Amino acid sequence: MSHLTKTNEAFWWSLFSAGGVMAALFLPVMIFVTGFVLPFMMGEDVESQQDRMVSLVTFWPVRLALFGIIFLSSFHCAHRIRHVLMDFGLRWAGVALMICCYGAAAGGAVAAGLILVRL
Amino acid sequence: MRRPLVRPYPKDWFLRTGAYRLFMLRELTSVCIAGYLVFMLWWLYQLGKGDTESFRSLLSIAKHPVSIGLHTIALIAAAWHSITWFNLTPLVMPMRIGEDRVPNVVIAIAMGYGPWLVVSGFVLWATLH
Amino acid sequence: MPEPTITLDVFRYRPDEDERSTFQSYDVPYHEHWVILDALNWIKDHVDGTLSYRWSCRMGVCGSCGMMINGDPKLTCAAFLKDYFPATIRIEPLANFPVERDLVIVMDDFMSKLTSVKPWMIRDDTSPMEEELLQSPSQLAAYKQFSMCINCLLCYAACPELDSDPDFLGPAAIALAHRYNLDSRDQGTAERQDILGAEEGVWGCAFIGECTEVCPKNVDPAGAIQQAKVAVTKDWYKRMLLPWGKR
Repeated sequence: MSHLTKTNEAFWWSLFSAGGVMAALFLPVMIFVTGFVLPFMMGEDVESQQDRMVSLVTFWPVRLALFGIIFLSSFHCAHRIRHVLMDFGLRWAGVALMICCYGAAAGGAVAAGLILVRL
Repeated sequence: MRRPLVRPYPKDWFLRTGAYRLFMLRELTSVCIAGYLVFMLWWLYQLGKGDTESFRSLLSIAKHPVSIGLHTIALIAAAWHSITWFNLTPLVMPMRIGEDRVPNVVIAIAMGYGPWLVVSGFVLWATLH
Repeated sequence: MPEPTITLDVFRYRPDEDERSTFQSYDVPYHEHWVILDALNWIKDHVDGTLSYRWSCRMGVCGSCGMMINGDPKLTCAAFLKDYFPATIRIEPLANFPVERDLVIVMDDFMSKLTSVKPWMIRDDTSPMEEELLQSPSQLAAYKQFSMCINCLLCYAACPELDSDPDFLGPAAIALAHRYNLDSRDQGTAERQDILGAEEGVWGCAFIGECTEVCPKNVDPAGAIQQAKVAVTKDWYKRMLLPWGKR
């Protein structure tokens, strides 16, 4: 081999993998809840719906779980999208592409943290 | 005289066979999931406002056909991610007992489909109880 | 009744005559028990002695007769005419490799990738051994699957990542590195880790999985690469978190 490029890809890959597990386990049911259970399966009383949702989401273990899910899933998506873009011919963009993808994921994670703390 | 010929690789390789298309479909679930995560942030933000007005607008948006459509797409993409992820888990983390490899389907169920069922059931129960 | 025939569209490139590659059609007698390699040998013996291709064992062991058959990488000694008859069969050299002549590929790059991962037994103590190294059946089972590789390069032809990054080590080389890392008698894991953990190593792979699909020996290089990713990642964290410790 002519040359080797040192990389910290192991770090990004570990976030990708952890996020892949979180997304696989939690996201389908979460999508079902926000998309179908909440609007159609929780009765007609809006205030009781709101109370139940707020008390569920503000329960601290749930906040922590939501943060973990959003943080890790964001990096999962960022990593996959980055690699798809590299396969589509953006390999030359290298570090700039990393900054865009992982930067967006980090932004999402920070936003999730702020929103969840202030709930 | 050696004069090796370098052939171009098809730029549309990911469309060329079923397996490559399925791979791309798997990778592109991440775009749908990323979209949903953005929605999730907005949803939590809206819920966190605490007033009935914001919650009503959240509900009316959730009942809109566009929301139903997007949620359906996101749900299919996320479920496809789960299925492909669990099916590939045994290749990444094979297990053996002595000389014998634990069958892939056992690993996929024990580390993937089983926990998926438990987690989904638990979240639904916590939401509806 | 005339003998049935089947048409082969064969990729031709003669570096001393041709500017570019062409396809040449040959009509070959059709026999149900013939494989594509038999048809190529018939062409070479009866029609066109200038057709160049590699082959040796005719039984899926030597790994030299891999070609693209209708766009799919296959061992031509294991691809039967009857699976394509009566349609025309298109035969090209393996994808992702430069062409030396006709169906013969240049494999120099692969050979240097292969040797770079040191696919041989590495021992700390190189003095002649007094005793043989014992290995239990379960220790053998840990790596046996990955030792079945015949270097036929079908996995390289099936891997789109090699087009995206030609320096990517590729499926077979990584699977063989992993095979020695898993061998209880080998002590060379640390020596292979720098190259496996490089951008051109395991990280060139997005787990498309076609290498495993096309492998005629069920080596599962895709699985080997992902397992090597896990090993390299553990190693990376160890190095980051325990800088004072031994790797």
